[in-house]
Amino acid sequence: SGGVGALAQWVLVELQGEVEPRQSGDLAGSLLGDLHYTCEGVPVLIVGHHILYGKVVQLEKPFAVLVKQGGAPQPGPAGPHGHYTVTALIKTKLLFKTRPKPIITHVPKKV
Amino acid sequence: AAMRSRAEVDATLQTAKLNPAELLPAVHCLSFGPQAGGGECCLLQLEPGLCAELEAGHSLVIRGEKDEHAVLCSKDKTYDMKIADTSNMLLFVPGCKTPEELNADPASCNIIHSQIAGFSNNYWELRRCRPKLKKLRKLLMEDPYDGPDSQKEQTSSFSKYTTEDLLNLIQASEEEILHQLQVIDACKIEGYWRILDFDYEMKLLNHVTQLIDSESWPLSKVPLCACLEELGSLEPREMIEHILVSYGRKYVDAGEIFFEMHEDKTCRAIAQMLLQNAVKFNLSEFEEVWQQSVPEGMTTRLDQLQGLALVDKSSRPETISLLKVEDLPEDNQERFNSLFGIREKWTEVDITPYIQDLCAEKQTVGALLTKYARSSMLNGVKVYNSRRPIS
Repeated sequence: SGGVGALAQWVLVELQGEVEPRQSGDLAGSLLGDLHYTCEGVPVLIVGHHILYGKVVQLEKPFAVLVKQGGAPQPGPAGPHGHYTVTALIKTKLLFKTRPKPIITHVPKKV
Repeated sequence: AAMRSRAEVDATLQTAKLNPAELLPAVHCLSFGPQAGGGECCLLQLEPGLCAELEAGHSLVIRGEKDEHAVLCSKDKTYDMKIADTSNMLLFVPGCKTPEELNADPASCNIIHSQIAGFSNNYWELRRCRPKLKKLRKLLMEDPYDGPDSQKEQTSSFSKYTTEDLLNLIQASEEEILHQLQVIDACKIEGYWRILDFDYEMKLLNHVTQLIDSESWPLSKVPLCACLEELGSLEPREMIEHILVSYGRKYVDAGEIFFEMHEDKTCRAIAQMLLQNAVKFNLSEFEEVWQQSVPEGMTTRLDQLQGLALVDKSSRPETISLLKVEDLPEDNQERFNSLFGIREKWTEVDITPYIQDLCAEKQTVGALLTKYARSSMLNGVKVYNSRRPIS
């Protein structure tokens, strides 16, 4: 259900490929990267050794973020069963589709 | 994990050879929140109108039992749900600002620590669909009401359904369900939705039509009060009023309630009553008996029987038999299979009443025929038959 009171507005960040933590173990709590915007409004994401350039897209079809109530098995192919609450709406996404530019760290000269 | 500092952010910018002067001052440091990997969040792509409904505070409900494909229901519409995979990773970030929002608020914080609430590589897509209402009739037919004196009614332990029960069991929006209850002439008895047993319904209708006849009331002006007074000793008053509401149009004249009887609906019900007694009837004999059976002043016409009876013009003599559209399968392909099993070739005129209800929003009968049938010419008339060989 939507519920009373304004729904939070979140943003979707769309990246190519998969996200893996640098260290083995849970993703929870670990850093992804820094998100900047150029003065022209182009999003720039620095993830690990990569720079990603993206664009701000207003979604033609917004998303609702559903949170399952009372923890349960993953939704199966027949459909999500159980109670869900709409936690937030997403009307904007930051789409990073360009090939990541690797950051070449400066190698110190041997003396 | 420790939160990043401005110094660390700037060092990263330097390593990346990005010029801070070309960037907005604010930076979002993105990290994965504590629940991020849990998979409890999922994305639902919204069709037009649904976003506004949610923002207005209305609810969306997902309905479906374990063996049914889930549907999403708004207040008045139903949607099929389907998973769409994307090859990309979608991260959902609360509190992440767009460049416009940052520019609009110059005092915005220099470092915004944003926690990614969850991520996914798929989302739920919606497609508007016909509400799945066949089950509604099926549930109510488990225990049709056949009067307060019926033995069954006293001892019955069958499931009875309240509005709440139906909302939980039927894959349709509340409005669609309530509308369908009206269409099938269901009534609420002691808080439960009931459908009348057909014979009981005809008994009630007969009481009313006989009274109209004996009182010589015009069919367009049947007084409610007099009906309740005269018939109240025979049947419950709620039932008398229900049959008038089902078969008439209620209106008020000089402070009194009257009903204008539905000629088509009355004739149709009487036809059903006659047809259910045998498999097939001689058409002309049926038409004669039928006209004699309806209230005086009403005229029977074959087009009143669309979706109820099928006329066979190819047999000699011509015949008519009962075929109710509501007894046919709800699924498109199954419906067509069923119809082609009953009759190999159909004209568009004959088949239309039996497929009309399958049409999606803005879909025509012609489009359905193109999709599910093959056309050919028979004696100069266009007919439709199955696309697949009949076993």
